[in-house]
Amino acid sequence: MNFSIMFDKEKCRGCTNCMKKCPTQAIRIKNGKAIIDHKKCIHCGECIRACSYGAYSPECIEWKNETNAYKCKIAIPSTTIYGQFPRGTDICVVQNAILKLGFDYVYDESWAAELVAKAIKKKIDNNKDIRPFINTNCPATLRLINIRYPSLTENLIALKTPMEIAGILARNNARKKFNLEDKDIGVFYITPCPAKLLAVTDPIGNLGPSVDWVIPLNKIYGELYQKVVKEDNLICSYPSLSGLKWSVCGGQSKSAKLTNFIAVNGMENVIQILEEIENGKLSGVDYVEVLACVQGCVGGTFNVINPFIASSNNKYILNTLDGEPINSDLECFEKLYNKGFFEFEFPDTESVNKINIKEALKKNEEIKQILAILPGLDCGSCGSPTCLSHAEDIYNGQSTIFECVVLRANS
Amino acid sequence: MANDLLKRFSFEITSNDFITAGKSSSYIKSNLKSLGIDSKVIRKIAIVFYEAEINLVIHSLGGKIYCDLYEDKIIIISKDIGPGIDNVELAMTEGYSTATDKVRELGFGAGMGLPNMKKYSDIFKIISDKNGTLIELTIFI
Repeated sequence: MNFSIMFDKEKCRGCTNCMKKCPTQAIRIKNGKAIIDHKKCIHCGECIRACSYGAYSPECIEWKNETNAYKCKIAIPSTTIYGQFPRGTDICVVQNAILKLGFDYVYDESWAAELVAKAIKKKIDNNKDIRPFINTNCPATLRLINIRYPSLTENLIALKTPMEIAGILARNNARKKFNLEDKDIGVFYITPCPAKLLAVTDPIGNLGPSVDWVIPLNKIYGELYQKVVKEDNLICSYPSLSGLKWSVCGGQSKSAKLTNFIAVNGMENVIQILEEIENGKLSGVDYVEVLACVQGCVGGTFNVINPFIASSNNKYILNTLDGEPINSDLECFEKLYNKGFFEFEFPDTESVNKINIKEALKKNEEIKQILAILPGLDCGSCGSPTCLSHAEDIYNGQSTIFECVVLRANS
Repeated sequence: MANDLLKRFSFEITSNDFITAGKSSSYIKSNLKSLGIDSKVIRKIAIVFYEAEINLVIHSLGGKIYCDLYEDKIIIISKDIGPGIDNVELAMTEGYSTATDKVRELGFGAGMGLPNMKKYSDIFKIISDKNGTLIELTIFI
Protein backbone atom coordinates (compact mmCIF):
# COMPACT_ATOMS: atom_id res chain seq x y z
CA MET A 1 0.00 0.00 0.00
CA ASN A 2 1.19 3.47 -0.80
CA PHE A 3 1.24 5.81 2.10
CA SER A 4 0.75 9.50 1.49
CA ILE A 5 2.01 10.79 4.82
CA MET A 6 5.70 10.29 5.55
CA PHE A 7 6.80 9.85 9.13
CA ASP A 8 10.28 10.86 10.29
CA LYS A 9 11.12 8.80 13.37
CA GLU A 10 14.12 11.00 14.18
CA LYS A 11 11.95 14.10 14.55
CA CYS A 12 9.28 12.35 16.66
CA ARG A 13 9.53 13.05 20.39
CA GLY A 14 6.62 10.85 21.40
CA CYS A 15 4.63 13.84 22.67
CA THR A 16 1.20 12.16 22.03
CA ASN A 17 -0.30 15.21 20.23
CA CYS A 18 -0.85 13.30 16.97
CA MET A 19 -2.21 10.27 18.82
CA LYS A 20 -4.81 12.35 20.63
CA LYS A 21 -5.94 14.14 17.47
CA CYS A 22 -6.25 11.03 15.31
CA PRO A 23 -9.99 10.54 14.63
CA THR A 24 -9.71 6.78 14.12
CA GLN A 25 -7.26 6.13 16.98
CA ALA A 26 -4.75 4.76 14.47
CA ILE A 27 -1.67 6.01 16.37
CA ARG A 28 0.07 4.58 19.43
CA ILE A 29 3.32 5.69 21.08
CA LYS A 30 5.80 2.87 21.67
CA ASN A 31 9.25 3.44 23.15
CA GLY A 32 8.85 7.18 22.73
CA LYS A 33 7.96 7.07 19.04
CA ALA A 34 4.65 7.19 17.17
CA ILE A 35 3.50 4.05 15.41
CA ILE A 36 0.76 4.26 12.78
CA ASP A 37 -1.72 1.49 12.07
CA HIS A 38 -2.07 1.96 8.32
CA LYS A 39 -5.23 -0.15 8.21
CA LYS A 40 -7.01 2.44 10.34
CA CYS A 41 -5.47 5.55 8.72
CA ILE A 42 -7.91 7.67 6.70
CA HIS A 43 -5.23 10.17 5.57
CA CYS A 44 -7.04 13.20 6.91
CA GLY A 45 -3.77 14.93 7.79
CA GLU A 46 -4.74 15.73 11.41
CA CYS A 47 -1.36 14.32 12.54
CA ILE A 48 0.51 16.70 10.22
CA ARG A 49 -1.37 19.59 11.80
CA ALA A 50 -0.96 18.31 15.37
CA CYS A 51 2.81 17.69 15.25
CA SER A 52 4.94 20.54 16.55
CA TYR A 53 8.18 18.89 15.46
CA GLY A 54 7.50 18.37 11.76
CA ALA A 55 7.68 14.58 12.02
CA TYR A 56 4.84 14.15 9.50
CA SER A 57 5.10 15.43 5.96
CA PRO A 58 3.54 14.72 2.58
CA GLU A 59 5.10 11.94 0.60
CA CYS A 60 7.75 13.55 -1.56
CA ILE A 61 7.35 12.45 -5.16
CA GLU A 62 9.98 13.84 -7.49
CA TRP A 63 7.28 14.63 -9.99
CA LYS A 64 9.62 16.63 -12.20
CA ASN A 65 11.55 13.47 -13.07
CA GLU A 66 8.26 11.95 -14.13
CA THR A 67 7.28 14.67 -16.57
CA ASN A 68 9.88 13.48 -19.14
CA ALA A 69 7.93 10.29 -19.68
CA TYR A 70 5.07 12.17 -21.35
CA LYS A 71 4.75 14.10 -24.61
CA CYS A 72 1.95 16.17 -23.13
CA LYS A 73 1.79 17.21 -19.50
CA ILE A 74 -1.52 18.45 -18.14
CA ALA A 75 -1.84 20.31 -14.83
CA ILE A 76 -5.15 20.29 -12.99
CA PRO A 77 -5.09 22.95 -10.27
CA SER A 78 -7.48 22.33 -7.41
CA THR A 79 -10.29 24.87 -6.89
CA THR A 80 -8.44 26.14 -3.82
CA ILE A 81 -5.33 27.33 -5.67
CA TYR A 82 -6.34 30.89 -6.61
CA GLY A 83 -7.15 31.82 -3.02
CA GLN A 84 -3.57 30.99 -2.03
CA PHE A 85 -2.16 34.13 -3.67
CA PRO A 86 -2.36 37.75 -2.53
CA ARG A 87 -5.74 39.36 -3.05
CA GLY A 88 -6.08 40.79 -6.52
CA THR A 89 -3.72 38.29 -8.18
CA ASP A 90 -5.04 37.67 -11.69
CA ILE A 91 -6.23 34.11 -12.32
CA CYS A 92 -4.55 34.13 -15.76
CA VAL A 93 -1.26 34.98 -14.11
CA VAL A 94 -1.55 31.99 -11.78
CA GLN A 95 -2.40 29.67 -14.68
CA ASN A 96 0.58 30.91 -16.66
CA ALA A 97 2.85 30.42 -13.66
CA ILE A 98 1.69 26.78 -13.63
CA LEU A 99 2.49 26.43 -17.35
CA LYS A 100 5.95 27.85 -16.71
CA LEU A 101 6.66 24.98 -14.31
CA GLY A 102 6.80 22.80 -17.42
CA PHE A 103 3.20 21.95 -18.25
CA ASP A 104 1.66 22.08 -21.71
CA TYR A 105 -1.94 22.54 -20.74
CA VAL A 106 -4.00 23.62 -17.75
CA TYR A 107 -7.44 22.12 -17.17
CA ASP A 108 -9.20 23.93 -14.36
CA GLU A 109 -10.79 21.59 -11.80
CA SER A 110 -13.68 24.03 -11.33
CA TRP A 111 -15.27 22.88 -14.62
CA ALA A 112 -15.39 19.32 -13.41
CA ALA A 113 -16.73 20.59 -10.07
CA GLU A 114 -19.59 22.35 -11.86
CA LEU A 115 -20.40 19.15 -13.73
CA VAL A 116 -20.37 17.07 -10.54
CA ALA A 117 -22.61 19.69 -8.88
CA LYS A 118 -25.15 19.22 -11.67
CA ALA A 119 -24.94 15.46 -11.14
CA ILE A 120 -25.50 15.93 -7.37
CA LYS A 121 -28.65 17.97 -8.01
CA LYS A 122 -29.97 15.48 -10.53
CA LYS A 123 -29.30 12.44 -8.36
CA ILE A 124 -30.96 14.05 -5.33
CA ASP A 125 -34.03 14.99 -7.39
CA ASN A 126 -34.26 11.53 -8.94
CA ASN A 127 -33.91 9.52 -5.71
CA LYS A 128 -36.39 10.84 -3.17
CA ASP A 129 -36.29 7.69 -1.05
CA ILE A 130 -32.72 8.22 0.17
CA ARG A 131 -32.26 11.03 2.71
CA PRO A 132 -29.93 12.53 3.52
CA PHE A 133 -27.39 11.99 0.77
CA ILE A 134 -23.78 12.37 1.89
CA ASN A 135 -21.01 13.76 -0.35
CA THR A 136 -18.26 11.48 -1.63
CA ASN A 137 -15.68 14.02 -2.79
CA CYS A 138 -13.77 14.27 0.50
CA PRO A 139 -11.59 11.14 0.57
CA ALA A 140 -10.88 11.50 4.30
CA THR A 141 -14.55 11.53 5.34
CA LEU A 142 -15.29 8.80 2.78
CA ARG A 143 -12.72 6.55 4.44
CA LEU A 144 -13.99 7.56 7.89
CA ILE A 145 -17.49 6.40 6.91
CA ASN A 146 -16.00 3.23 5.47
CA ILE A 147 -14.21 2.42 8.74
CA ARG A 148 -16.43 3.87 11.49
CA TYR A 149 -19.89 4.29 9.93
CA PRO A 150 -20.33 1.50 7.38
CA SER A 151 -24.12 1.59 7.90
CA LEU A 152 -24.15 5.02 6.23
CA THR A 153 -22.81 3.59 2.96
CA GLU A 154 -26.31 3.57 1.51
CA ASN A 155 -26.55 7.34 2.06
CA LEU A 156 -23.42 8.11 0.05
CA ILE A 157 -24.21 9.96 -3.16
CA ALA A 158 -21.52 7.84 -4.88
CA LEU A 159 -20.43 10.31 -7.53
CA LYS A 160 -16.87 10.61 -8.80
CA THR A 161 -14.83 13.52 -7.46
CA PRO A 162 -14.13 16.67 -9.50
CA MET A 163 -10.46 15.59 -9.53
CA GLU A 164 -11.42 12.30 -11.14
CA ILE A 165 -13.78 13.88 -13.69
CA ALA A 166 -11.25 16.62 -14.50
CA GLY A 167 -8.60 13.95 -15.10
CA ILE A 168 -10.76 12.07 -17.61
CA LEU A 169 -11.97 15.17 -19.45
CA ALA A 170 -8.53 16.78 -19.58
CA ARG A 171 -7.02 13.62 -21.04
CA ASN A 172 -9.80 13.37 -23.64
CA ASN A 173 -9.31 16.99 -24.63
CA ALA A 174 -5.54 16.61 -24.93
CA ARG A 175 -5.89 13.41 -26.93
CA LYS A 176 -8.02 15.20 -29.51
CA LYS A 177 -6.15 18.49 -29.43
CA PHE A 178 -2.63 17.10 -29.82
CA ASN A 179 -3.54 13.80 -31.52
CA LEU A 180 -1.80 11.69 -28.89
CA GLU A 181 -2.22 8.29 -27.32
CA ASP A 182 -3.19 7.92 -23.66
CA LYS A 183 0.26 6.75 -22.57
CA ASP A 184 1.83 9.94 -23.93
CA ILE A 185 -0.37 12.12 -21.76
CA GLY A 186 0.54 12.75 -18.12
CA VAL A 187 -2.11 14.20 -15.82
CA PHE A 188 -0.82 16.01 -12.72
CA TYR A 189 -3.22 17.17 -10.02
CA ILE A 190 -2.10 20.02 -7.74
CA THR A 191 -3.76 19.41 -4.40
CA PRO A 192 -4.19 20.89 -0.91
CA CYS A 193 -5.19 17.45 0.42
CA PRO A 194 -3.10 14.53 1.74
CA ALA A 195 -6.07 12.17 1.31
CA LYS A 196 -6.18 12.99 -2.41
CA LEU A 197 -2.69 11.51 -2.73
CA LEU A 198 -4.00 8.21 -1.49
CA ALA A 199 -7.19 8.53 -3.55
CA VAL A 200 -4.87 8.20 -6.56
CA THR A 201 -2.37 5.63 -5.36
CA ASP A 202 -4.86 3.43 -3.52
CA PRO A 203 -8.37 4.32 -4.71
CA ILE A 204 -11.62 3.18 -3.14
CA GLY A 205 -13.96 1.32 -5.51
CA ASN A 206 -13.79 2.16 -9.20
CA LEU A 207 -12.32 5.58 -8.53
CA GLY A 208 -9.12 6.26 -10.39
CA PRO A 209 -6.72 6.22 -11.93
CA SER A 210 -7.58 9.10 -14.24
CA VAL A 211 -4.84 11.18 -12.61
CA ASP A 212 -1.24 9.94 -12.91
CA TRP A 213 0.48 12.11 -10.31
CA VAL A 214 -0.56 14.26 -7.40
CA ILE A 215 1.54 17.24 -6.39
CA PRO A 216 1.15 18.73 -2.89
CA LEU A 217 0.47 22.43 -3.35
CA ASN A 218 2.96 23.54 -0.69
CA LYS A 219 5.76 21.58 -2.44
CA ILE A 220 5.57 23.80 -5.51
CA TYR A 221 4.22 26.98 -3.97
CA GLY A 222 7.59 28.73 -3.67
CA GLU A 223 8.48 28.16 -7.27
CA LEU A 224 4.97 29.08 -8.39
CA TYR A 225 4.97 32.28 -6.35
CA GLN A 226 8.13 33.52 -8.07
CA LYS A 227 6.58 32.92 -11.48
CA VAL A 228 3.39 34.83 -10.71
CA VAL A 229 4.26 37.88 -12.81
CA LYS A 230 1.91 40.16 -14.70
CA GLU A 231 2.62 39.95 -18.44
CA ASP A 232 0.85 40.85 -21.66
CA ASN A 233 -0.83 38.35 -23.97
CA LEU A 234 -1.39 35.65 -21.39
CA ILE A 235 -3.20 32.52 -22.47
CA CYS A 236 -6.01 31.83 -20.09
CA SER A 237 -8.74 29.28 -19.63
CA TYR A 238 -11.16 30.90 -17.23
CA PRO A 239 -12.44 28.84 -14.33
CA SER A 240 -16.10 28.08 -13.67
CA LEU A 241 -17.55 30.48 -11.12
CA SER A 242 -19.96 27.82 -9.90
CA GLY A 243 -17.19 25.23 -9.59
CA LEU A 244 -14.81 27.55 -7.72
CA LYS A 245 -17.29 27.61 -4.83
CA TRP A 246 -16.26 24.01 -4.01
CA SER A 247 -13.10 25.20 -2.28
CA VAL A 248 -15.05 26.40 0.77
CA CYS A 249 -17.41 24.23 2.84
CA GLY A 250 -21.02 24.61 1.70
CA GLY A 251 -19.80 25.55 -1.76
CA GLN A 252 -20.69 22.31 -3.47
CA SER A 253 -24.27 22.54 -2.16
CA LYS A 254 -24.45 26.12 -3.44
CA SER A 255 -22.86 25.11 -6.73
CA ALA A 256 -25.55 22.40 -7.04
CA LYS A 257 -28.20 25.06 -6.21
CA LEU A 258 -29.50 23.06 -3.26
CA THR A 259 -31.67 24.72 -0.63
CA ASN A 260 -32.14 21.98 1.95
CA PHE A 261 -28.60 21.04 2.97
CA ILE A 262 -26.24 20.98 5.94
CA ALA A 263 -22.54 21.74 5.47
CA VAL A 264 -20.13 20.59 8.18
CA ASN A 265 -16.37 21.00 8.38
CA GLY A 266 -13.64 19.93 10.78
CA MET A 267 -13.16 16.32 11.84
CA GLU A 268 -14.81 16.56 15.28
CA ASN A 269 -17.91 18.24 13.84
CA VAL A 270 -18.06 15.70 11.04
CA ILE A 271 -18.04 12.83 13.53
CA GLN A 272 -20.88 14.43 15.51
CA ILE A 273 -23.05 14.94 12.44
CA LEU A 274 -22.43 11.36 11.24
CA GLU A 275 -23.62 10.13 14.65
CA GLU A 276 -26.81 12.18 14.20
CA ILE A 277 -27.40 10.70 10.75
CA GLU A 278 -26.88 7.23 12.20
CA ASN A 279 -29.61 7.99 14.74
CA GLY A 280 -31.94 8.74 11.83
CA LYS A 281 -32.30 12.38 12.79
CA LEU A 282 -31.51 14.05 9.46
CA SER A 283 -33.92 12.17 7.22
CA GLY A 284 -35.62 15.47 6.32
CA VAL A 285 -32.43 16.94 4.84
CA ASP A 286 -31.51 16.44 1.16
CA TYR A 287 -27.73 16.67 1.34
CA VAL A 288 -25.11 16.65 4.05
CA GLU A 289 -21.75 17.99 2.95
CA VAL A 290 -19.04 16.67 5.28
CA LEU A 291 -15.48 17.91 4.85
CA ALA A 292 -12.61 16.85 7.11
CA CYS A 293 -10.72 20.14 7.10
CA VAL A 294 -11.69 23.39 8.82
CA GLN A 295 -13.53 25.63 6.32
CA GLY A 296 -13.40 22.78 3.77
CA CYS A 297 -10.70 22.20 1.17
CA VAL A 298 -9.17 25.66 1.77
CA GLY A 299 -8.19 24.19 5.16
CA GLY A 300 -6.29 21.27 3.59
CA THR A 301 -2.88 20.63 5.15
CA PHE A 302 -0.97 21.26 1.93
CA ASN A 303 -2.31 24.81 1.66
CA VAL A 304 -0.06 27.73 2.48
CA ILE A 305 -2.55 30.41 3.52
CA ASN A 306 -4.69 30.39 6.67
CA PRO A 307 -8.06 28.74 5.84
CA PHE A 308 -10.15 31.75 6.87
CA ILE A 309 -8.06 34.16 4.81
CA ALA A 310 -8.19 31.75 1.88
CA SER A 311 -12.02 31.54 2.16
CA SER A 312 -12.23 35.29 2.09
CA ASN A 313 -9.83 35.44 -0.90
CA ASN A 314 -12.01 32.93 -2.67
CA LYS A 315 -15.12 35.02 -2.08
CA TYR A 316 -13.27 38.07 -3.40
CA ILE A 317 -12.35 36.19 -6.58
CA LEU A 318 -15.96 35.08 -7.11
CA ASN A 319 -17.16 38.65 -6.70
CA THR A 320 -14.62 40.22 -9.02
CA LEU A 321 -14.37 37.73 -11.91
CA ASP A 322 -16.05 39.17 -14.99
CA GLY A 323 -18.40 37.48 -17.40
CA GLU A 324 -19.89 34.00 -17.63
CA PRO A 325 -17.04 31.87 -18.93
CA ILE A 326 -18.14 28.69 -20.68
CA ASN A 327 -16.63 25.30 -21.28
CA SER A 328 -17.75 22.97 -24.05
CA ASP A 329 -17.62 19.95 -21.71
CA LEU A 330 -20.64 21.36 -19.87
CA GLU A 331 -22.82 20.91 -22.95
CA CYS A 332 -22.33 17.15 -22.74
CA PHE A 333 -23.70 16.93 -19.20
CA GLU A 334 -27.01 15.18 -19.93
CA LYS A 335 -25.35 12.67 -22.24
CA LEU A 336 -22.57 11.92 -19.73
CA TYR A 337 -25.02 11.66 -16.82
CA ASN A 338 -27.30 9.23 -18.63
CA LYS A 339 -24.29 7.09 -19.55
CA GLY A 340 -23.46 6.78 -15.85
CA PHE A 341 -20.19 8.67 -16.34
CA PHE A 342 -20.36 10.26 -12.87
CA GLU A 343 -21.31 7.14 -10.92
CA PHE A 344 -18.75 5.46 -8.77
CA GLU A 345 -19.18 2.01 -7.39
CA PHE A 346 -18.52 1.86 -3.70
CA PRO A 347 -17.21 -1.55 -2.69
CA ASP A 348 -19.53 -3.59 -0.49
CA THR A 349 -18.48 -3.31 3.10
CA GLU A 350 -17.05 -6.60 4.24
CA SER A 351 -19.82 -8.72 5.65
CA VAL A 352 -19.18 -9.15 9.32
CA ASN A 353 -18.85 -12.69 10.54
CA LYS A 354 -21.74 -13.61 12.76
CA ILE A 355 -20.49 -12.69 16.19
CA ASN A 356 -20.94 -14.68 19.31
CA ILE A 357 -22.59 -12.19 21.62
CA LYS A 358 -21.81 -14.25 24.69
CA GLU A 359 -18.07 -14.16 23.96
CA ALA A 360 -18.17 -10.50 22.95
CA LEU A 361 -19.89 -9.64 26.25
CA LYS A 362 -17.27 -11.60 28.16
CA LYS A 363 -14.50 -9.74 26.36
CA ASN A 364 -16.15 -6.38 27.10
CA GLU A 365 -16.54 -7.36 30.74
CA GLU A 366 -12.83 -8.13 30.97
CA ILE A 367 -11.92 -4.83 29.31
CA LYS A 368 -14.23 -3.08 31.75
CA GLN A 369 -12.44 -4.73 34.66
CA ILE A 370 -9.08 -3.51 33.37
CA LEU A 371 -10.55 -0.04 32.80
CA ALA A 372 -11.72 0.07 36.42
CA ILE A 373 -8.08 -0.16 37.58
CA LEU A 374 -6.93 2.64 35.25
CA PRO A 375 -7.17 6.23 36.54
CA GLY A 376 -9.57 7.50 33.83
CA LEU A 377 -7.55 10.64 33.11
CA ASP A 378 -7.14 9.89 29.39
CA CYS A 379 -3.70 11.53 29.59
CA GLY A 380 -2.21 9.42 26.82
CA SER A 381 1.14 9.01 28.60
CA CYS A 382 0.87 5.21 28.36
CA GLY A 383 0.98 5.51 24.56
CA SER A 384 -2.72 4.81 23.96
CA PRO A 385 -5.09 7.73 23.29
CA THR A 386 -7.57 7.06 26.13
CA CYS A 387 -7.81 4.82 29.20
CA LEU A 388 -10.44 2.78 27.35
CA SER A 389 -8.15 2.23 24.36
CA HIS A 390 -5.34 1.37 26.78
CA ALA A 391 -7.59 -1.24 28.41
CA GLU A 392 -8.39 -2.66 24.95
CA ASP A 393 -4.69 -2.69 24.04
CA ILE A 394 -3.92 -4.56 27.28
CA TYR A 395 -6.68 -7.08 26.52
CA ASN A 396 -5.27 -7.57 23.02
CA GLY A 397 -1.77 -8.09 24.42
CA GLN A 398 -0.41 -4.93 22.79
CA SER A 399 0.32 -3.07 26.01
CA THR A 400 0.61 -3.74 29.73
CA ILE A 401 -0.89 -2.09 32.77
CA PHE A 402 2.63 -1.03 33.81
CA GLU A 403 2.69 1.50 30.96
CA CYS A 404 0.27 3.63 33.01
CA VAL A 405 2.32 6.53 34.39
CA VAL A 406 -0.27 7.45 37.02
CA LEU A 407 -0.47 3.93 38.46
CA ARG A 408 3.34 3.74 38.54
CA ALA A 409 3.60 7.07 40.36
CA ASN A 410 1.05 6.01 42.98
CA SER A 411 2.52 2.60 43.71
CA MET B 1 -30.31 -21.65 25.27
CA ALA B 2 -31.01 -19.18 22.48
CA ASN B 3 -33.73 -17.59 24.60
CA ASP B 4 -31.46 -16.79 27.54
CA LEU B 5 -31.15 -13.12 28.39
CA LEU B 6 -27.42 -12.42 28.14
CA LYS B 7 -27.34 -8.81 29.22
CA ARG B 8 -29.73 -6.03 30.12
CA PHE B 9 -28.94 -2.32 29.86
CA SER B 10 -31.47 -0.14 31.69
CA PHE B 11 -31.99 3.59 31.57
CA GLU B 12 -34.13 5.95 33.62
CA ILE B 13 -35.65 8.68 31.42
CA THR B 14 -36.88 11.91 32.99
CA SER B 15 -39.77 13.86 31.50
CA ASN B 16 -38.84 17.14 29.77
CA ASP B 17 -35.11 16.67 30.38
CA PHE B 18 -33.50 17.92 27.18
CA ILE B 19 -30.10 18.25 28.84
CA THR B 20 -29.46 14.52 28.89
CA ALA B 21 -31.84 13.56 26.05
CA GLY B 22 -29.98 11.40 23.55
CA LYS B 23 -27.27 10.31 26.02
CA SER B 24 -28.74 6.85 26.51
CA SER B 25 -28.89 6.18 22.77
CA SER B 26 -25.25 7.23 22.39
CA TYR B 27 -24.29 4.93 25.26
CA ILE B 28 -26.15 1.98 23.78
CA LYS B 29 -24.70 2.61 20.34
CA SER B 30 -21.09 2.72 21.48
CA ASN B 31 -21.60 -0.41 23.61
CA LEU B 32 -23.11 -2.38 20.74
CA LYS B 33 -20.34 -1.16 18.41
CA SER B 34 -17.69 -2.36 20.82
CA LEU B 35 -19.37 -5.77 20.86
CA GLY B 36 -18.84 -5.97 17.11
CA ILE B 37 -22.52 -6.19 16.16
CA ASP B 38 -23.23 -5.62 12.45
CA SER B 39 -23.44 -1.91 11.68
CA LYS B 40 -26.75 -2.30 9.82
CA VAL B 41 -28.33 -3.79 12.95
CA ILE B 42 -26.81 -1.07 15.12
CA ARG B 43 -28.26 1.61 12.90
CA LYS B 44 -31.77 0.17 13.28
CA ILE B 45 -31.31 0.00 17.03
CA ALA B 46 -29.89 3.53 17.15
CA ILE B 47 -32.93 4.88 15.32
CA VAL B 48 -35.61 3.06 17.34
CA PHE B 49 -33.85 3.61 20.66
CA TYR B 50 -33.43 7.31 19.99
CA GLU B 51 -37.09 7.65 19.02
CA ALA B 52 -38.14 5.79 22.17
CA GLU B 53 -35.93 7.96 24.33
CA ILE B 54 -37.11 11.25 22.84
CA ASN B 55 -40.74 10.11 23.01
CA LEU B 56 -40.42 9.54 26.74
CA VAL B 57 -38.77 12.94 27.23
CA ILE B 58 -41.38 14.84 25.21
CA HIS B 59 -44.64 13.00 25.81
CA SER B 60 -44.44 10.95 28.99
CA LEU B 61 -44.26 11.65 32.68
CA GLY B 62 -41.03 9.68 32.71
CA GLY B 63 -40.15 6.05 32.43
CA LYS B 64 -37.59 3.38 31.71
CA ILE B 65 -36.00 1.90 28.64
CA TYR B 66 -34.39 -1.53 28.62
CA CYS B 67 -32.15 -2.94 25.98
CA ASP B 68 -31.98 -6.72 26.27
CA LEU B 69 -29.35 -8.76 24.46
CA TYR B 70 -30.04 -12.31 23.35
CA GLU B 71 -27.93 -14.56 21.17
CA ASP B 72 -30.02 -13.93 18.07
CA LYS B 73 -31.94 -10.74 18.81
CA ILE B 74 -32.08 -7.47 20.70
CA ILE B 75 -35.29 -6.38 22.40
CA ILE B 76 -35.91 -2.79 23.39
CA ILE B 77 -38.64 -2.18 25.96
CA SER B 78 -39.92 1.31 26.65
CA LYS B 79 -42.18 1.65 29.67
CA ASP B 80 -43.59 4.92 30.96
CA ILE B 81 -45.88 5.97 33.79
CA GLY B 82 -48.39 7.87 31.70
CA PRO B 83 -50.35 9.72 30.50
CA GLY B 84 -50.85 7.20 27.67
CA ILE B 85 -51.67 7.70 23.99
CA ASP B 86 -55.28 8.74 23.25
CA ASN B 87 -55.43 7.19 19.82
CA VAL B 88 -52.68 4.71 19.05
CA GLU B 89 -53.81 4.25 15.46
CA LEU B 90 -53.58 8.00 14.80
CA ALA B 91 -50.17 8.21 16.50
CA MET B 92 -48.95 5.51 14.12
CA THR B 93 -49.69 7.78 11.12
CA GLU B 94 -46.60 9.38 9.54
CA GLY B 95 -46.49 13.09 10.19
CA TYR B 96 -49.06 13.06 12.98
CA SER B 97 -47.72 14.81 16.07
CA THR B 98 -48.99 16.15 19.36
CA ALA B 99 -45.71 17.88 20.19
CA THR B 100 -45.90 21.53 21.27
CA ASP B 101 -44.40 24.37 19.22
CA LYS B 102 -41.65 24.78 21.79
CA VAL B 103 -40.56 21.18 21.30
CA ARG B 104 -40.70 21.50 17.51
CA GLU B 105 -38.49 24.58 17.62
CA LEU B 106 -35.85 22.38 19.21
CA GLY B 107 -36.02 20.18 16.12
CA PHE B 108 -37.99 17.35 17.73
CA GLY B 109 -41.58 16.22 17.41
CA ALA B 110 -41.89 15.87 13.64
CA GLY B 111 -44.37 13.09 14.26
CA MET B 112 -42.34 10.19 12.90
CA GLY B 113 -41.56 8.51 16.20
CA LEU B 114 -43.88 5.51 16.28
CA PRO B 115 -43.97 4.83 12.50
CA ASN B 116 -40.15 4.91 12.48
CA MET B 117 -39.98 2.46 15.37
CA LYS B 118 -42.27 0.12 13.51
CA LYS B 119 -40.38 0.54 10.25
CA TYR B 120 -36.98 -0.29 11.70
CA SER B 121 -37.95 -3.16 14.01
CA ASP B 122 -38.79 -6.76 13.10
CA ILE B 123 -41.53 -7.14 15.71
CA PHE B 124 -43.41 -4.13 17.08
CA LYS B 125 -45.82 -4.29 20.01
CA ILE B 126 -47.58 -1.44 21.75
CA ILE B 127 -50.09 -1.24 24.60
CA SER B 128 -51.29 2.07 25.98
CA ASP B 129 -53.78 3.31 28.55
CA LYS B 130 -53.90 6.25 30.93
CA ASN B 131 -51.49 4.53 33.30
CA GLY B 132 -48.77 4.39 30.71
CA THR B 133 -47.47 3.03 27.46
CA LEU B 134 -45.50 -0.15 26.93
CA ILE B 135 -43.61 -0.64 23.68
CA GLU B 136 -41.62 -3.75 22.82
CA LEU B 137 -39.36 -3.75 19.77
CA THR B 138 -37.50 -6.80 18.55
CA ILE B 139 -34.62 -6.61 16.11
CA PHE B 140 -33.03 -9.86 14.94
CA ILE B 141 -29.28 -9.97 14.65
